[in-house]
Amino acid sequence: MWRVIQSVLAAFFGVQKESRRTEDFTHGRGFVFIVVGLVMAALLVGLLVLVASLAAE
Amino acid sequence: MRLVWTVGLVSAGLSSKVLANQWNMPVGVTDVSREIHSLHMIIFWICVAIGVVVFGALFYSLFRYRRSRGARASNFHEHTTLEIVWTVVPLLILVAMAIPATATLKKMYDTSEADLDVMITGQQWRWRYSYLGEEVAFTSNLATPRSQVEGKSAKSENYLLEVDEPLVLPVGQKVRLLMTSDDVIHSWWVPDLAVKQDAVPGFVNENWVRINEPGIYRGQCAELCGKDHAFMPVVVKAVEPPEFESWLAQRKEAAAQAALGVDREWALEELMTRGEQVYATICASCHMPDGQGSPPAFPALAGNQTMLDDADYHIETVINGVSGSAMPAFRSTLNAVELAAVITYERNAWGNDTGEAIQPARIAELIDSP
Repeated sequence: MWRVIQSVLAAFFGVQKESRRTEDFTHGRGFVFIVVGLVMAALLVGLLVLVASLAAE
Repeated sequence: MRLVWTVGLVSAGLSSKVLANQWNMPVGVTDVSREIHSLHMIIFWICVAIGVVVFGALFYSLFRYRRSRGARASNFHEHTTLEIVWTVVPLLILVAMAIPATATLKKMYDTSEADLDVMITGQQWRWRYSYLGEEVAFTSNLATPRSQVEGKSAKSENYLLEVDEPLVLPVGQKVRLLMTSDDVIHSWWVPDLAVKQDAVPGFVNENWVRINEPGIYRGQCAELCGKDHAFMPVVVKAVEPPEFESWLAQRKEAAAQAALGVDREWALEELMTRGEQVYATICASCHMPDGQGSPPAFPALAGNQTMLDDADYHIETVINGVSGSAMPAFRSTLNAVELAAVITYERNAWGNDTGEAIQPARIAELIDSP
């Protein structure tokens, strides 16, 4: 699970090692990446809303 | 060497020209405008520094490692560390720029605790200013004569940037500006006050200024709003608070006098004189100074039989406009005296000799009950 989160974080950041990418595409399951990606996108939106409301105070 | 000199001279010449011609954003006369200006300059120099580093590295590599000197490309595909560095560095620069920018934005949008509220209404093609709670309201029209626009006389210094009645504001006081529009989207823009805000029909947008120095500040409508978009300038006259108070008192007095004028009987001559002024500032831009109009969009008024036969139809058209055409409703732009005067003028000028005087009292009845 931690590996999936790491890969999704790398995707958010936009930089990934080629070796990790190959591994994810051969051993990982697409469904897991999609679900984790959606959950983490929601978390990112929540984090941005929190930062914006703190800045607006 | 000669090339370096040429480039140096050209760029020095350009930068002095830019500053001399005031092509840069003005510093302005409010604390917020100064802050926006310094923010603009900081971000400009950050962009210059990035540009110098990036293009410097590019040109140096092209020159130093050129093929004629036997340089060979290194064909590597992946370098994770380098990729992380060139992603993190721009991220940090952007966050660093966002912190002061957010602080300034918060100040710009803090309209609380204002000393004075002014409602600004955009109309095709003039601004209407209303001092809320003070019973003072007026329209501000272009004052540049048509002869200058048509090139028949020399253009004045403030060509298309002068109005008959400027917005008068006190210095040192926080003035809240509430903006809306009667017809289409306009935008109230005064560079020296760092205010550029859309005036949208059906919405009220807020902004504010606290002007530090007395003076006259000019601006324009910044949202394309139709035929005379270029002919609705903004002029703000900032004065010391005591002068502002006496100006406001004088305007209230004048408004009270005008209200008295509604009930009395006006002579034809009197209405004609007043009507000619109103026609020139409000109507002449479409219906032309000689009443000939520009058919088919703007019909002629001189010799217009439908209009001359039916005074009620004429009054109705001026007060409420014509839905689906370019003719706006003037019930909130002009007062009863001005409406009566301009209608009388249109019914008697350019050979339309009906001899009828339309009385302000007749108009007042119609505009008070919509």
